[in-house]
Amino acid sequence: MTEDAIVADAITKAYGSMTAVDHVTFRVPSGGIFGLLGPNGAGKTTIIKVLTGLSALTGGDARVAGFDVRTYPMEVKQRIGWVAAEVILDDDFSGWENLWLQAKFQRVSDWKGRAQQLLDYFALSEFKNNKVSTYSTGMRKKLEIALALLHEPQIIFMDEPTIGLDPGTRRMLWELITGVNREYGITIFLTSHYIEEADALCSQVAILDQGKIAAMGAPNDLKARVQADYIELETGEPTDEARLRAIPGVHEVRAQGRTWILKVDRSEEFLPRLFDHLKPDLIRKINVEKPSLESVFMQLTGKRIDQAGSEVQDYRKFYANVRRARG
Amino acid sequence: MSVETEHTVVLPNANVVAPSATGAHRIGQMSQFTGLYSRELLRTFRNPWVLVITVVQPFMWLAFFGSSFANVPISELERLLHITISSYTQFLLPGVLSTSMLSVGMFGAMSTIQDKRFGYMKRILLTPTSKSTVFVAKALGSATRGLVQIPVMIVAALAFGVTLGGTPLMWAGFVLALIFLALGFSSLFLAVTASSTDWQTPGVISNFIMMPLMFASGALFPTANFPSWMATIANWNPVTYTALLGRGVVVSGSFDWLYLGYVAIFAGLLVLAGTLVGRKYMKVE
Repeated sequence: MTEDAIVADAITKAYGSMTAVDHVTFRVPSGGIFGLLGPNGAGKTTIIKVLTGLSALTGGDARVAGFDVRTYPMEVKQRIGWVAAEVILDDDFSGWENLWLQAKFQRVSDWKGRAQQLLDYFALSEFKNNKVSTYSTGMRKKLEIALALLHEPQIIFMDEPTIGLDPGTRRMLWELITGVNREYGITIFLTSHYIEEADALCSQVAILDQGKIAAMGAPNDLKARVQADYIELETGEPTDEARLRAIPGVHEVRAQGRTWILKVDRSEEFLPRLFDHLKPDLIRKINVEKPSLESVFMQLTGKRIDQAGSEVQDYRKFYANVRRARG
Repeated sequence: MSVETEHTVVLPNANVVAPSATGAHRIGQMSQFTGLYSRELLRTFRNPWVLVITVVQPFMWLAFFGSSFANVPISELERLLHITISSYTQFLLPGVLSTSMLSVGMFGAMSTIQDKRFGYMKRILLTPTSKSTVFVAKALGSATRGLVQIPVMIVAALAFGVTLGGTPLMWAGFVLALIFLALGFSSLFLAVTASSTDWQTPGVISNFIMMPLMFASGALFPTANFPSWMATIANWNPVTYTALLGRGVVVSGSFDWLYLGYVAIFAGLLVLAGTLVGRKYMKVE
């Protein structure tokens, strides 16, 4: 049996009184793509920091590539690659020189052949002597992945690998990530707040919210747990919870900002009833969420993943208060 | 094994190293050190403006400050400076070389802060590179940068008509003392800014230490003319001893090993203390 690539046992990280990661436990099998899915501020980057030895654990234990991260951080670092969310390269140097520096840092003496193969693989050979400040975002991202692969790591940590990229570059990177995982046999641990990214890439997903794991499993297994559709509704005029609850088939009503989230059995049967109860011209926006990782997140936390990290202003309450203040 | 992919050619085979749970060994740091040190030097010497400033600043010291006693009779100067010299510039050269090593640490500190702010420190420290290695490479990098000033200043001094005494061995000893001085002050700067990510910190520290250590030393004027409190500072100030050592070489062709030893101890202590501080307090971002 192959050993798990990563074992996290009740890992905890606190900054003063703020607990960023709270007793998180998971195992990442060797050779898979494991995704940590959660909104901004959920603790995803902190988990990468503690697993890579960049930041000390406050509590719990973790083994990465067979080594305890507390006792053997250097051994861990020899066996992992890292791809930053913000693309970190030395802009004063060429692509080739960035590879050379990485080889020096990773103590790889016989690096040139492999570096050239990686540049060929990522279609960067033509530009290898150009300063990386002249590279496009996609090229920079590809070079960063090449740096992570140079010393033949067992695990690559990717922190929000496609954040801020256009859809075309994102898809290209997805192909590269799955290619690297498949062809190199390297375990990939990635964080993301993009539902579709976790769904497309990951064999295992852990959903993280406010420093805790809310659910974990294969994406299809997680989706199978959701026995309902979610309907997001934005109305032009104020409405109230009781009115929405009164519609037959509604199991749950939650307000998020100016949007209502309704949990229903089957949206196809529910929507005509909704239009009967609310005048259609009252409805400003409607969105149906069939079982997906997004609806898993909604079911677990009552929020959409892309809104959970930021404070959503409840404009209706705000304007109601303004009206009251005016008398 | 090689695999054709749609991106291009061949994917190199990954020879995965089997992890060894008992592999608690010290990981060598020489490769990481040479990488970091080379990076510091290349970044410095590829930037033409850095070179211009490094070269022009000491030259201006000699040109403007060195000329400030041009019309004072030499006998009068010799009486004031307590030494037999051919010009004030000859007296000043070893002093300016010494004081210019005071500020070189600022560049190492700024380069470290840049690495923290742009995230490159994370890239370094997510490899088996220790913070101590980063510290020593940065300190040596900025010290080396300071050494560029030495040949420039000597050429400038010759252009101003200064006669230089001493043997090549004595000059090598003086340069070694300057290296020690630069290394010591670089370590001081790096240690003080270890936990900082603010661009302005090195400038503030530079202003704070430059003025007292430059004037409370024997670099520009002899300490015999100082009030007692300032002479006390000068007696502890390593700039004084590098300047005296250099002045012995330049002016009278003599070499005092004690001065070299003092500066070597200063450098050794500060590199050691700085590395310990850096290892404990150096921030990653």
